[in-house]
Amino acid sequence: MTSLVEVPVVTRTSPPALLELRGLAVDYGFGENRARAVDGVDLTIHEGEILGLAGESGCGKTTIANAVMQILRPPGHIAAGTMSFRGENLIGKSEEELRRFRWRNVSMVFQSAMNALNPVMRVGDQFVDAMQAHERIDRRRALARAAELLDLVGIDRARVRAYPHELSGGMRQRVIIAIALSLNPELIVLDEPTTALDVVVQREIMQQVEALKHDFGFAVLFITHDVSLLLEFADRIAIMYAGEVVETAPAGVLATNAQHPYTQGLLESFPPLTGPRQRLTGIPGSPPDLRNPPTGCRFHPRCPHCTRDRPELYRLQTIERPVLREVEPGHSVACHLVAGAEE
Amino acid sequence: MTAAAQLEVQGLTKHFAVGTTFARSRVHAVDDVSFELRPGTITALVGESGSGKSTVARLLARLHDPTGGAVLFEGSDVARVRRRRDVLRYRSQVQLIFQDPFDSLNPVKTVRHHIERPLRIHGIVPRHEVDERVQELLRAVGLVPPQEIAAKYPHELSGGQRQRVALARVLAVEPKVVLADEPTSMLDVSIRIGILNLMMRLKEERGIAFLFVTHDLASARYVADDLLVMYAGQIVERGPVEEVLESPLHPYTRLLLAAVPDPAKRLHADRIQERKGVAAAAVDPPEGCRFVSRCPLAIDVCSRVTPPLVEARPHQAARCHVTAPSNLIERTT
Amino acid sequence: MSQLDPTFDLPLAAPPTRVRGRVRVPGWVVLLLQNRKSRTGLVMVGFMVLIALIAPLISVAHPNDFNLLAARQAPSWQHLFGTTDQGSDIFSQVVLGARRSLLLGAAVAVLATGLAATLGVTAAYSGGVVDDVVNFVINVFLTIPAIPLLVVASSYLKNRSMWTMAVVLALVLWAFEARILRGQALQLKSRDFILAAKATGESTRRVVFAELMPNMISRIAAGFVLVFYIALLTDAGLEFLGLGDMTKTSWGVTLYWAQVNSTVLQGEWWPFFFPGAALAFTVLGLVLLLAGIDEVSNPRLRNERMPRRGLFRQLFGGRLATRAETSA
Repeated sequence: MTSLVEVPVVTRTSPPALLELRGLAVDYGFGENRARAVDGVDLTIHEGEILGLAGESGCGKTTIANAVMQILRPPGHIAAGTMSFRGENLIGKSEEELRRFRWRNVSMVFQSAMNALNPVMRVGDQFVDAMQAHERIDRRRALARAAELLDLVGIDRARVRAYPHELSGGMRQRVIIAIALSLNPELIVLDEPTTALDVVVQREIMQQVEALKHDFGFAVLFITHDVSLLLEFADRIAIMYAGEVVETAPAGVLATNAQHPYTQGLLESFPPLTGPRQRLTGIPGSPPDLRNPPTGCRFHPRCPHCTRDRPELYRLQTIERPVLREVEPGHSVACHLVAGAEE
Repeated sequence: MTAAAQLEVQGLTKHFAVGTTFARSRVHAVDDVSFELRPGTITALVGESGSGKSTVARLLARLHDPTGGAVLFEGSDVARVRRRRDVLRYRSQVQLIFQDPFDSLNPVKTVRHHIERPLRIHGIVPRHEVDERVQELLRAVGLVPPQEIAAKYPHELSGGQRQRVALARVLAVEPKVVLADEPTSMLDVSIRIGILNLMMRLKEERGIAFLFVTHDLASARYVADDLLVMYAGQIVERGPVEEVLESPLHPYTRLLLAAVPDPAKRLHADRIQERKGVAAAAVDPPEGCRFVSRCPLAIDVCSRVTPPLVEARPHQAARCHVTAPSNLIERTT
Repeated sequence: MSQLDPTFDLPLAAPPTRVRGRVRVPGWVVLLLQNRKSRTGLVMVGFMVLIALIAPLISVAHPNDFNLLAARQAPSWQHLFGTTDQGSDIFSQVVLGARRSLLLGAAVAVLATGLAATLGVTAAYSGGVVDDVVNFVINVFLTIPAIPLLVVASSYLKNRSMWTMAVVLALVLWAFEARILRGQALQLKSRDFILAAKATGESTRRVVFAELMPNMISRIAAGFVLVFYIALLTDAGLEFLGLGDMTKTSWGVTLYWAQVNSTVLQGEWWPFFFPGAALAFTVLGLVLLLAGIDEVSNPRLRNERMPRRGLFRQLFGGRLATRAETSA
């Protein structure tokens, strides 16, 4: 399995694709004033893998998560592209079909999940709620399953009767994850699940998720801005910038051989805890306004390699959008500098 | 080598009363905290949410009144000061930067307003020079062109730009001490370095004493000279940043270090010992070490006697019966 | 909301000023004009204000004159709204009455809102003793029953001029607003930018008026409009009951005389209808304006507008589906 090996696995033997996004585009608003939050994204999640989706604010990662679950809030809507789960197209399904799809096939843990719990309901009842909404199960069996799940995520079974405010932040997060697991989905989308938690609890939860994945075999779409977390826990990582995927690679490869200047800049923005203390530069400027993104490569205004010294390349960078190209098995980059433009 | 302390904190304590009249409890948000801030240095105060680190910053900024202890600034205890004139003077010397760049600026006022106000309140420059000084300050924090930026409203700026405006506002009064309460936690990762570099530059150029409150050990290591680690309202370890991180004394510091994500850990992931416990402020804590429920090294005395902060190595102190026992002082010279 | 949690909200409090041609229009005016409800409300109220302004030009000199020859006439070209039992021109009474009503409403709104905002926000920010005292005063005024007080006050007051009524009404209506504004200020006062202002050394007065209140404009404006039309209705009501100054020209007085003379029983609808319609029209305009302010103030209501697919279909056609439009 890919998670135990440092070297990228040759794609030929990777497990079947679970969720495939092709050319997905999501707009907020209509007509002139619309902002294209996600612009032509190709993404594949395989069975049982942890795919990390990393990027900073405005890159579109949360929008993708909402699009996958089909819970985009108006005026957000899918404008183009396809989204298929085990070959079945998700776009255009009726509300009823989507309801069945949600939670059984794909479930989601939201960013402010701690606030997603109903404060006036006991924890166990919230499990029952979720389960009864998607399958026929009587209350007693549902509660029993809830207790089991709490045990699995490392919470005392007796807490089934607790109210959310009686639990700490980390525990509430675990409850949410347990509810997401309650119907044995094949894919769980975690949207910044540990952002609001401290480092120690974060590690505990990540270890828990890994253990559960090992036992149940579900795939995870892990969305975060913390690339260092992904480098440690994810199998594959996709880096997003301004609504596009700019690089995908297995975690080990990305850590040592990131090709896209944005990825490189991002990785360098994490000051190291060990090794020599050096001055870092981060990435100058800020992400673009998606109502009016830069022409050509969207990163070019901030890219250290985009200069007028090489006019041919410069022209390319400012006019043509780079396409994701595979530079080695499993590793794709969308950059004019890589794969043939000049070097 | 060590310059005289700009701000000296002694035994700072803050308790909040909670509960009803019949069942009153006291939350020990900050307990017996002592440290120094020296000019031209950055002191990092690291702890998890609820550890009391933000409360310490706010106490020093006089947004709360302490329950006990003293805060000495230029000799006098500012916690006891009441006269408006003296309070104003203190405020002009000790400034605070907030965590949320989206909240620390008034949404209906321009950038210019934010920077002008402190200039006018404290009379830093004569009236006709205010505009020029505003532009100077904006340039000093890297916001150019200053005229354009000064006319903008906060929602027209990015998070990083807003924090820079907050810094400019703080610099306007030419403070000796700047308390930065998690200034980068809510910023994009690629922008954090810029703000941290700016802090270091200001410390070098203007000799300001910074208190950098954060939960991120890595950025603490990047900017700070000294490190203070807080847990449940108490300082549990302190010392020069490199030494503390290289050989931490307190078990909590070790736990923090082990928990930070590190790509190199991928293959050697040891499960952290899962002991239940929270780093948050203790409510009516009993005697004894507050970390005892999560500590792998706990011995009998730990749950009975609160360990004092002991300097187990030169310049490095920890609050632990096991790694920094209090009879150590008698043993060494 | 942090940078790590981006939303597409527009900040409601400080839309930048738009430059329309040469005129710098404050952003909030533009927002109010864009919103359908407030635009309609503004037009209606604006129309009334216009009428009130030109009233002396379009009415007869002495609207309360007796002219028995012309009494009880139905609306005609000479008397657009007909005449009263005593022969007074109702049209003139209505347009001149508009002046009094609008002026009174505005006066009460200014007084009540001013008092409510100042006391409520200062109390919230200062806390402690000041808050306790103001709270107590608010509670006292809230428990005094409004209508009986008004009735008693206007019966006893020798001087029933408009300003007296304005003061009395303001005293009755301010407490409700004050409590609401105090509540909002309490929420705002622990926001970082207020703490920052305090840490910068701003005085209480400046924080209250220059930092807190500008962030409460929408609520204060809403309160203003609310008090305005409540004052209008209450004043008209009091006059209808005969408790106002019967010598002045106003809608309520016209209605009073209409009622006293039992005009409807005699088949004369116009002395009731026109002043009543004028009152209703003005109040409706204000209510729409208020609704518009509410909508504009709440960014969530603004952003969730999908393109209108016809009111009928929206009401009866089921959910607004966010179906993907797979473009070619």
